[in-house]
Amino acid sequence: MPEQPAQPRTTIVGEGRAGLPISRVAVFAGLTLFGVTAAVPFVWQILMSLATLTDVDLLTQTGFPPTLLPSNYGLVFERVPFAKYFFNSFFVAGWVTILQVITCAMAAYAFSRVQWPGREKVFLLYLGTLMIPGVVLMVPNFAVVLGLGMFNSYWGLIIPGAFSAFGTFMLRQFMLTIPTSLDEAAAIDGAGHWRIFTEVVLPLARPGVIVLAIFCFLGNYNSFFWPLILVKDVNLRTLPLGLLVFDSSYGRETPLIMAASLMAMVPPVVIFLLLNRYLVKGIQLGAVKG
Amino acid sequence: MIGSARKRLLIALAFLLPNLLGFLVFTAGPVLFSLAMSFTDWALTKHNSFSSTPVRFVGIENYARLLWGDESGFFWNYFGNTVYLMIGIPIGIAGSLGLALLLNAKSSPAGRGSKAWGVGVALAVTAISCFGVWMLTTPGPAPTELTAVKSGEIGLTDLTVFQVDRARSNAAVLAMAVLGAVVAGGMAFGSAFFRTLFYLPSLLAGVAMFLLWKTLYRPRGGLINAGLEPLLNWITHATKQTPEWVWKAGAAGVFGLVAMLAGLTVVNGVRNLGSGVAGAAALFGRVAWAATLLAAGWGVAIVLWRVHGWAADGLKPPDWLIDPTYAKPALIVMGVWCGVGGGNMLLYLAGLSNVPPELYEAASIDGASGWQRFKHVTWPQLAPTTFFIVIMSTIGGLQGGFEQAMVMTGGAAETRVLAFYLYERAFKGTFELGLASAIAWVMFAMIFAMTIVNFRLGSQMTND
Repeated sequence: MPEQPAQPRTTIVGEGRAGLPISRVAVFAGLTLFGVTAAVPFVWQILMSLATLTDVDLLTQTGFPPTLLPSNYGLVFERVPFAKYFFNSFFVAGWVTILQVITCAMAAYAFSRVQWPGREKVFLLYLGTLMIPGVVLMVPNFAVVLGLGMFNSYWGLIIPGAFSAFGTFMLRQFMLTIPTSLDEAAAIDGAGHWRIFTEVVLPLARPGVIVLAIFCFLGNYNSFFWPLILVKDVNLRTLPLGLLVFDSSYGRETPLIMAASLMAMVPPVVIFLLLNRYLVKGIQLGAVKG
Repeated sequence: MIGSARKRLLIALAFLLPNLLGFLVFTAGPVLFSLAMSFTDWALTKHNSFSSTPVRFVGIENYARLLWGDESGFFWNYFGNTVYLMIGIPIGIAGSLGLALLLNAKSSPAGRGSKAWGVGVALAVTAISCFGVWMLTTPGPAPTELTAVKSGEIGLTDLTVFQVDRARSNAAVLAMAVLGAVVAGGMAFGSAFFRTLFYLPSLLAGVAMFLLWKTLYRPRGGLINAGLEPLLNWITHATKQTPEWVWKAGAAGVFGLVAMLAGLTVVNGVRNLGSGVAGAAALFGRVAWAATLLAAGWGVAIVLWRVHGWAADGLKPPDWLIDPTYAKPALIVMGVWCGVGGGNMLLYLAGLSNVPPELYEAASIDGASGWQRFKHVTWPQLAPTTFFIVIMSTIGGLQGGFEQAMVMTGGAAETRVLAFYLYERAFKGTFELGLASAIAWVMFAMIFAMTIVNFRLGSQMTND
C-alpha cells in the first residue's frame, strides 16, 4: 500500500540500504512476475521466427529451435513485397501526421489566439463531434472518398486523416495555457499573426504538438479498418493489411509470419523508447482535458 | 487584439480554413450524411454508375429490419457477442489498478545510488546468458553416435537426442536470461522499467500482435496449452487421489460460507439503513456486492462439485479459437493481456500521484490498515479516474473487436461483433450502405445511453 505518492523518476533515497522489508520484496516479486508475463510472448515470438518449418511445431517440446535460421527474415521479403508494405505504412502515417499537425495547430491558433465573431459556436460544433463514435463515420467517409475519386489510392488513405477535431481541441487547450503577453509583445514589435504563430506560439506548444504527432503516427501505423476497405491494389497495402494477407496465404509457415510481425513491431517500440516521457505525459494530458 | 472584427474574422478563417474544410467534408458533413443514408435503401450493387435505379427513401425500414425484422437475428447475436467480450473490461480495469498500485509502492530494493550497479548487473546477466547460448548452440565435439528418439516417447522423430538435449539446455539458459534481465532492469531503473515493460503489449496491439497470439492459442504446438497441459495433468492426478465426497463437501462449504457473508452484508446494510437517496444508494451497493459474491461463490462451488467427475476423463486444455465455446474467452484473455498495462494503468498512476500524502498520514495516525487505507483514501480519491476509464472503455468496447475477429478467427460466427457486422454489410456482398449506416446509428444510440448511465452512476459514486 502506498504511503506516499511516488514521484516520477525518483527511487527511495537512503532507505534502500537499511534492509529488505518483506512487503518490498513481495512488491518487487509481483512486478517481476507480471514483467515476465509481458515479456514471454515476445521472446517466444523471436524463437518461433528463427526456427525451421518443422522445428517450430516442436518448439513447445524442445523450448529452443535446434537450428537457428535468421534467413527467415530475408525470406519474408522474397515471399511478399514486405519492403513496399513498410514504405506504405511509413508514407501514409507520416503524411497524415504532418498534415494533421499543421492543420490542427493552425486551427487551434484561430480558436485560442484570434478573437472573431462566431468563434465559440464553431468551436462547440467541433466539440460536439468528439462524441461521435468512429464507426458512424466509416460508411459516409467511404462514400465521400468514393465520390472524390480517391478510392484505392494514397490520397484516400491520407486525406481523410489530415484533419482532426480531437487534435484541434487538444492543441487549443494547450495553447490556452501559453500566456498571451508573449504574442502581444511580439505584436508590438510589428509581428503579424503568421509570425506570432510560427515563432512564438508554435515553439511554446511543442510538447503538445509532439504528443499529437506521436499518437497520430502510431494510430495510423496500426490502422486496419480504413486501409482494409479502401485498398484493393497490392502495391498500396500497409503493414497490417499486408500481414493479414501474408497470414492467409502463407499461414502454415509460422516462422515467416512471426518474423514479419516482429519486424512490424519494431518501429513503434523504437518511437516509444525514444519519446517515452512525452507519451506518458500525453496520455495523462489527454485524460485531463479530453 | 489586432485589427477590426472583419479583419480578424478573415485572419481566423485563413488559419482555420484547411482544418475546417476537412472537418466539414470528413466529419461534420458525413455525420449528417450518414443519418440521412440510414433512412435509404442505398446499396452499391443496386445504385452505381451502371444502373440508373434511384436511391429510395425507406423511412425507418432499416432500423426495423435490424431490431425486429429479417436482420434482427444477426444483430442481436452480434450484440450479444460484443457484450460478452466486454466482460474483459472490468477485469482489465481491476488489473490496471493493481499494476498501478504495485508500481506506485516502493518497489526498487536498490537505492538511488545503485543505478550504475543495476546497469552493471543487467549487462553482466545479458553477457553471461549470451555467452551461454553461444556455447550451447556452437556444435561442440560431435557425439559419436546420434540416436533417433523413439517416436512414441516424445514425438520428436526428426531430431536426435543430442539436438533435443542441446535445445533444452538453451531454453533453460534463455529462461534464466529473461528472468535475470527483468530483475536486473527492475533493480536498475525501478518502476520506470516495469512501467515501460507493462506498456509494450498495448503499444503493439494490432494485427502483428494478434497473429502472435493466434500461434500461442494453437491447440497443439501453442505455448498456452503447452503450459496448461502439465498443470491440468497435475490437477487430474491430485483430484483422483482424494475421495469424491471431500470435493463435494468443499463445494458445499465454500458456497455456505459465501452465502453467509453475502447475507450478513445485506442484513448489516438494512440495519444501518441511512435516510433518503444516499441510504438507498448505499444499500443498493451492498446488495450488488453481495450478489457478486454469491455469483463468484456459486462458480467456485460448481467447479469443486464437478471437478472429480471431470478428472475421471482427464482434464484437457481447450482448443481455444477453434472451439466455439472458448473462442470468446480466448479473445478476452488476450484483450486483458494487451490492455492491462496500457493507457488505463498510466491514468491510474497519474491519479495515484495526485492523492495528497496528508490523507495517508492522517489515516496512518488513525491506525488504518493497508486495506482500510485503500478503501477509504485511495479508492475514493481515484473515483474520477475510474469514472473516466469506465466511460472510455465502454465506448471503446461497444465499437471494438473487429480486428480480433478478422485476424484471430477469420470472422468465425462466435466472435463477430457489431463493428464486424457493419463491415460485412457495408463493404462486402451487397454493399448495403443504408443498412450499415443504420447499424452505426444504433451503436451510437447504445453508446450514448451507456455513457448516460455511467454518468448517473459515476456522479453518485463521486458524491458518496
